[in-house]
Amino acid sequence: MGRRSTTVFLVAAFAAGQTNLYGDLFAMRRDAMVRETIENRQVTDPATLRAMRAVERHRFVLPELIGNAYDDRPLPIGFGQTISQPYIVALMTELLQVNEDSVVLEIGAGSGYQAAVLAEIVNRVYTIEIVPELADLSANRMKELGYENVVVKEGDGYFGWEEHAPFDGIIVTAAATHIPPPLIEQLKPGGRLVIPVGPPMQVQNLMLIEKTEDGEIRQRSLMPVRFVPFTRR
Amino acid sequence: MATPAHTNSAVRDALAVGLVSGCGIAYQITLMRIFSIVHWHHFAYLMISVAMLGFGASGTLLTLLRPWMAGRERQVLVGSMAGFAGAMPLAVLAGFAIPFETFHLVSDPRHIAYLFGLSLVLALPFLLCATAIATALIMHRERFGWLYGINMTGSACGAVAVIALLFLLPPAAIPIVLAVPALIATALAGGMAGRRLALSLGIAMVVLAAWATPRNLPVSEYKILSYLQQFPDFAEVARTQSPLSMIQAVTSSLLRETPGQLSNYPFREKGPLPPQAGLVMDAGSLSAVHQYDGDLARFAFMDYVTAALPYRLLDRPEVLVIGAGGGTDVLIALVGGARQITAVEIDPRVRPLLDGPLRHYSGGLFDRDDVDYRVAEGRGFLAASPRAYDLIQVALIDAFTAAAAGVFALSESYLYTREAVELYLRRLTPDGVLAITRWIKTPARDEIKLFATLVEALERTGIQEPGHHLAFIRSWNTATLLASRSPWTPEQIEAIRSFSRDRWFDISFLPGLAEHETNRYIALEEETYFLAAREIIHGDRDAFYRSYPFHVRPATDDKPHFFQFFRWRSLPVLVETLGWSWLPFMEWGYVTLLAAMVQGVVASAILILLPLALSRHRREGAGTRSGVFIYFGCLGLAFMFLEIAMIQKFMLFLAYPMYAVAVVLASFLLFAGLGSLAADRFLRPGPKVAGGAVAGLGTLAILYLLLLPPLFTSAATAWSDPAKVGLSVLLLAPLAFLMGMPFPSGMTWLGHHRPPLLPWAWAINGFTSVLGASLATFTAIHLGFRVLVLFAIALYLLAAISFFRMAGNDETIHPKFIALRKASIHRAG
Repeated sequence: MGRRSTTVFLVAAFAAGQTNLYGDLFAMRRDAMVRETIENRQVTDPATLRAMRAVERHRFVLPELIGNAYDDRPLPIGFGQTISQPYIVALMTELLQVNEDSVVLEIGAGSGYQAAVLAEIVNRVYTIEIVPELADLSANRMKELGYENVVVKEGDGYFGWEEHAPFDGIIVTAAATHIPPPLIEQLKPGGRLVIPVGPPMQVQNLMLIEKTEDGEIRQRSLMPVRFVPFTRR
Repeated sequence: MATPAHTNSAVRDALAVGLVSGCGIAYQITLMRIFSIVHWHHFAYLMISVAMLGFGASGTLLTLLRPWMAGRERQVLVGSMAGFAGAMPLAVLAGFAIPFETFHLVSDPRHIAYLFGLSLVLALPFLLCATAIATALIMHRERFGWLYGINMTGSACGAVAVIALLFLLPPAAIPIVLAVPALIATALAGGMAGRRLALSLGIAMVVLAAWATPRNLPVSEYKILSYLQQFPDFAEVARTQSPLSMIQAVTSSLLRETPGQLSNYPFREKGPLPPQAGLVMDAGSLSAVHQYDGDLARFAFMDYVTAALPYRLLDRPEVLVIGAGGGTDVLIALVGGARQITAVEIDPRVRPLLDGPLRHYSGGLFDRDDVDYRVAEGRGFLAASPRAYDLIQVALIDAFTAAAAGVFALSESYLYTREAVELYLRRLTPDGVLAITRWIKTPARDEIKLFATLVEALERTGIQEPGHHLAFIRSWNTATLLASRSPWTPEQIEAIRSFSRDRWFDISFLPGLAEHETNRYIALEEETYFLAAREIIHGDRDAFYRSYPFHVRPATDDKPHFFQFFRWRSLPVLVETLGWSWLPFMEWGYVTLLAAMVQGVVASAILILLPLALSRHRREGAGTRSGVFIYFGCLGLAFMFLEIAMIQKFMLFLAYPMYAVAVVLASFLLFAGLGSLAADRFLRPGPKVAGGAVAGLGTLAILYLLLLPPLFTSAATAWSDPAKVGLSVLLLAPLAFLMGMPFPSGMTWLGHHRPPLLPWAWAINGFTSVLGASLATFTAIHLGFRVLVLFAIALYLLAAISFFRMAGNDETIHPKFIALRKASIHRAG
């Protein structure tokens, strides 16, 4: 079956409410996505790959785009925000180098997809979303999908989440004009912060910021990437 | 002689044509503004292509309708004028209803269809406008030159009027206002029936205006304004508009727009960043206004940005800030210990916003005794003033996201040309420093071009070893480049090193910098900037320019497109590394212009060739047809080439781009209209008139090429604005006057010899003159404005030759014209 006809078939199946029957098809598409667009591009961390295979991306996209849920591209979710490209989600997750004991802060919950992927790996995910509608949406979604280790807060990501700091990893899923100093402060020694930099609608750089055990900061510009802008309070 | 009734009807039609022509150009400019706000700036180019589509389609329509139109010309004229009046506001509203989103263009094919639909909807008013004008010209073809003169004069008035309207009214309201003169035109051309039609449409228009026109334009959800509106305490406190842009003064406690590093800014010790307000331009870019209360200690973070570097090298300098904006660079200067600051801002609307609705934020920053605020264009200000400064700081004035995405690729920027930098360097005190801060772009290109510009400008001021005068540091998203009049002292070099070390900035160029000292804090895969700078200073510079994947050769006054980096040769490399879908996000401007042009060429090919294929007259003289094609095609292109070249030349002289566009556009249309009227009144339109005009304008254009650059950098730059405008009009008048003659001469000749080809000639000229606007920009980007002028002259010559050949081949007068003349003599008798 060709890619297009599979998509049409999946949409039709989903629309008919037969998601259980056709869940296997989504799983097949998801597996193909991980194999073709993530593993092939040197994302090798087994936990990340497992999480990417586990999280049902089609539950995080707009209904009309469900047929594109497993395409390797960002998709609009409204409010000028997007659900990131699967490869970038995988890459950012791998870059954090987190494990089942880690506590992670995410700035920009958006659809909740990145938080769900992290939740498959880490102990706890705290995520902040500035757009109230999106904060509600992702909180409800986490509940529905059973991600009890994800806490969603509506608010300003600029100052991080001091009550739960320090964090093993901080992931910012929207572009910023400067790295908020409080986020660096809330990073544990040995922790990592991943953030895209540069204006929206332009090629941006994915930056990795590492705090060494002695508190020194190392920054690396990794690759061009495109995100929605970092909205903050 | 015509009867008085016949004359009255011609005069009324002429007035109607004048009004409709004015509305047409005003509508095009309005659409450019509306869709620059709703989407992005490069939509201006799409509007050109849309207008082209409408104009071309009108020629096709008239050619196809010719048999049906016989005896119904008046109905077509009145119907298209009334339709034009109604279509102007309706097309805009329909355009708003189409859910097109630029951001989705590369990922969702439906948006290609939406864009196509948008183009078709917006082309409709132009189709009706051009149909009305062409019908009138055909109806009165025996007075073509006269009517065409009115058409051009009307356009000139429209261009001037819309500039005034754009100051006074929200852009979305202007199409409704423009419907009024279009309705008057309908009444003039239609007699009693037209008056009834105009009245009914007028009432419908008012109802529509009250009901449907949104107060706020439906801005793309991906523009900065849409993001800001999501902040709970967002407020728009003031709004001002002009033909150049809309500025909104906004407030929110959540605004924190400080481009820079700040990674190690000790905010606990020094306190958080003060609150900010913002100036949002065209809904797409944000300039911060920091809350200033006289206490500079709150702005300690201003010392943590790359632009603060020069203040570590100079002791209490006297500073010129080019691009005062909301005051960020003035604050950097004050925190850095500047003795006196001259802050130059090009936009006269910024200060009233800061002093009025944003007074609580600006806090009288520009009222300080040590700050001298001037409204002027930076380069023009320096050219007119002999004063020298210790530091000239070119601010991050295009700190606008859209600009960074390459949408200004097609704009001229005289601030960053080699000649401009040379001027800055010459206006420094002997130990003075020039500092330019830019956004870092990925892949690296902006800063490399700027570095090359600094090197070449230093060399032109007589400095043998520019490497000893340059420094280049970068944060994660900004770079500051310094050039000094004197070689750096060891103390200054150490100061640059220690500042960068303390702030975690990387040094990409400094005398004596070793490769292992680079790329320490923000590690790039490869320290491209250092390698490029070394190549420019010590390597084979020309070979580097040729081999780098982007266009990084310095911009000059002749090729002032600093932001144009696209190179066809590098396309495979870009696609290989980033994939196709990335390209538009890097080079939007160039890609959009290209898309607009391709769309225009395809539409032209179809719409110009189609009528000929379908026309009953296709077997008429092949020689005449090719002659008509060459003549009217060349005239369309050449006119636009010269017009755009002159806008560019006068932009440097008049300093404000808006003045240049308004003065050149209005002068061209007005004097070309007068030229056309004069040719009709005093000369016998034909190849000789066209040939004479071409000889005259060619000579003038060459003279201008030689004389304008020295004139525009002479003492005349210090003249007052009215004097400069006066001189510009005087210089443009003879050129435009002569340029107004060839087209009506050709049309009049065609009306006598091949009347069925008139609509076709009209379509060709319509297409090529709009295509010429895009093609002129491409030519200027790649070959420079001098070559553009030479191309224009060559095209005019080709047109003249073609006209002489056409006239030589065809001495016969079309039988229909003889019949028409007889009829007119009969009526006169």
